[in-house]
Amino acid sequence: MRLEIGNFYVKDIVFGDKLSFNEGLLTINKEEAITYLKEDDRITDIDLYLAKPGDPIRLCPVKDSIEPRVHVDGSPLFPGYEGDLKRAGEGVTHALKNCCVTVVGKHWGGFQDGIFDMSGEGQKLSLYGTLLNIVLVMDTNEEFERHEQQKKNDAHRRAGCKLAEFIGQCVKELEPEEKEVFDLEPVIKRDPEIEKLPSVVYVMQPQSQMEELGYNTRVYGWDMNRMLPTFMHPNEVLDGALISGSFMPCSSKWATYDFQNCPNIKALYHEHGKTINFLGVIMANLNVALEQKERAAIYVAQMANSLGADGAVVAEEGYGNPDADFVGCIVALEDAGVKTVGISNECTGRDGKSQPLVTLDEKCDAIVSCGNVSELIELPPMEIVLGELEALARDGSSGGWAGDEILGPSVREDGSIIFENNGVFCGDQVCGWSPKTMKEF
Amino acid sequence: MKKAILYINQFFGQIGGEDKADFPPEIRAEKIGPALEYAKSLEAEITHTIICGDNFMGSNTEEAISKILGFLADKEMDIFIAGPAFQAGRYGVACGTICKAVKEKFGVPVITSMNVENPGVEMFKKDMYILEGGNIASKMRKDVKAVVAIANKILTGEEVGPAKEEGYFPRGIRKQVWREDKKPASERMVEMLVQKLNGEPFETELPMPKLDRVPIAAAIKDLKKARIALVTTGGIVPVDNPDRIQSASATRWGRYNIDHVDALKSGEYKTIHAGFDPAAADADPNVITPVDALAALLKEGVYGSLHPYFYSTVGTGTTQAEAERMANEIIPYLKEDKVDGVIMVST
Repeated sequence: MRLEIGNFYVKDIVFGDKLSFNEGLLTINKEEAITYLKEDDRITDIDLYLAKPGDPIRLCPVKDSIEPRVHVDGSPLFPGYEGDLKRAGEGVTHALKNCCVTVVGKHWGGFQDGIFDMSGEGQKLSLYGTLLNIVLVMDTNEEFERHEQQKKNDAHRRAGCKLAEFIGQCVKELEPEEKEVFDLEPVIKRDPEIEKLPSVVYVMQPQSQMEELGYNTRVYGWDMNRMLPTFMHPNEVLDGALISGSFMPCSSKWATYDFQNCPNIKALYHEHGKTINFLGVIMANLNVALEQKERAAIYVAQMANSLGADGAVVAEEGYGNPDADFVGCIVALEDAGVKTVGISNECTGRDGKSQPLVTLDEKCDAIVSCGNVSELIELPPMEIVLGELEALARDGSSGGWAGDEILGPSVREDGSIIFENNGVFCGDQVCGWSPKTMKEF
Repeated sequence: MKKAILYINQFFGQIGGEDKADFPPEIRAEKIGPALEYAKSLEAEITHTIICGDNFMGSNTEEAISKILGFLADKEMDIFIAGPAFQAGRYGVACGTICKAVKEKFGVPVITSMNVENPGVEMFKKDMYILEGGNIASKMRKDVKAVVAIANKILTGEEVGPAKEEGYFPRGIRKQVWREDKKPASERMVEMLVQKLNGEPFETELPMPKLDRVPIAAAIKDLKKARIALVTTGGIVPVDNPDRIQSASATRWGRYNIDHVDALKSGEYKTIHAGFDPAAADADPNVITPVDALAALLKEGVYGSLHPYFYSTVGTGTTQAEAERMANEIIPYLKEDKVDGVIMVST
């Protein structure tokens, strides 16, 4: 299966008369974009902003980020989610690089929503502080969840995905600066030289622990709570089959952008034919009941064995309870003779003294660690806030609090904030970006 | 200039060898023994040297600590240093003991050095910076230099880096750091994967702590005759929390009389546990410490008798080591009363 991604590197973005891309300058007609998005009558208030690295801007509550792209053949960018079902991951996709559509609540946040800064000491906390952001700030009439800690964010996320595809149209007919080709032959029809190399599967555990539908990560629009692990082509993940979910502490989240650009998949692709034979992706999930976790681990290990995998990489989108799925899956793979590396974040507490994962096993001897969800972060006020800062304290953010007898509220009157890393939008970057690690002190 | 005080034993204090190990603590307003070596590069003046015999500290610990704390009460100091203790077991434990006491009493930074084989390392590494030192006194210069490197950072307010890079024993603290080379997790993953697949050495970023699995005890043969006790990590305490048990990362526990009590009453008992919403437990403490159910079952003759106290601490954030210590302190009370079974209520 062959996917070609044609890259257009965005150097700057402005609002103007006509949606266009010209020598690095992306121009967006704001009114046109807003009119298009307002077709969703759930949207009650909507505006577009630009937030660039170095700007004195803080974004909160952030719901999702998406890379603007288009399928050159005109097929849906997110098949089964926005548009008809069609296999993703083959053909030609054009992508606007260095930028993203970021969706922010005008007022209301929740457990799953995050925060990031475009400049200052907080900028390094999230990848999204380093990208050119097209920021969609909106409110909706989704009254059922307005004051709920857990939100589906359905109107927000759909608007973000639609806007990403809308903007992508401007490079549909253009010649890209660079072409990335992702071509992975069928597992049993590979070059004998490649087959001599140790074979590897990438096991993804997207967050899917909400029993009620609509909150979890989706694959081709399907809620991943209702699936068992299955085999996928990595191109499907890179080309819009996966849509970020809304049910996890925010620093552990994989945004839709993270799936579209998944660095772990790209790293395994890069090694394919050199040091490894990359077989593909075992798309697992995260579960609630122990039996569900064990069943999923059995499926993963069986598939790895049946595919003849010598090695596996397991990545977890979450921490705490899903550590049991993560450790259980690694143990099942090791017990099945598959040499496994895990990637996760840790929860060692504000003092760093707590047990790093909820459950541990000596078989997990190769872990890449991407950060501590409970690290305390204090940031000065920021000149401009897109969204509503109070959401960090008021709405049950995974990193913020309304009051604390020692630390006070997360959001102070002067606009300075104190919160746990948990609240940073996609801060731990377990999908592979993370320049952070954990060290003993 | 900032000020430092050094603790050393009778040998390095030039009092004598094993025959002088009973030497009681003394403080001298001068630099003695290793103090001269420290003085070469320490960014603080060593104003005093304390000397104490290793056996005196080992056998008369409380007296030794109280004397030394007394010496220090009117002294100015910005840092307190002990050793290096090398592989000398009693000396290492003495250095750890006095450093911990000084840190707790005066809140000044403390620092020492020991060899990995020194029992003082396991006992005190979580309480202070212990530099990984040599095994014998001929390593003095090197070990002192290592201590000074960290001490100077502390004195000048510079951040002390991770254990491995700075050469101290990990204190059980794991924190996130930004890698200087900014190497992303994806690249580290591939490197580790290829090394593991090829049978080459690799280094995990999350070393698994040694797991201590306890086998499940044999079933009670005759429950009708059994004496049962109630232990909880749910933080149920009398409302004034008389034992000052912490709401998280507990190091303290308490036991409270429930002899002939039919149920714990709201208003008399509450939870101090910070890891869950306390509303339900405050309204009815029996939901976590089921004294009511045990009283009822006792009347029905389901089990033999109830141990007259329940034991309580807080589980959230509490380290495995502290939990084990507290259990070892509670167990003698249960054994003494010939308890056959314990109901361990978590939350």
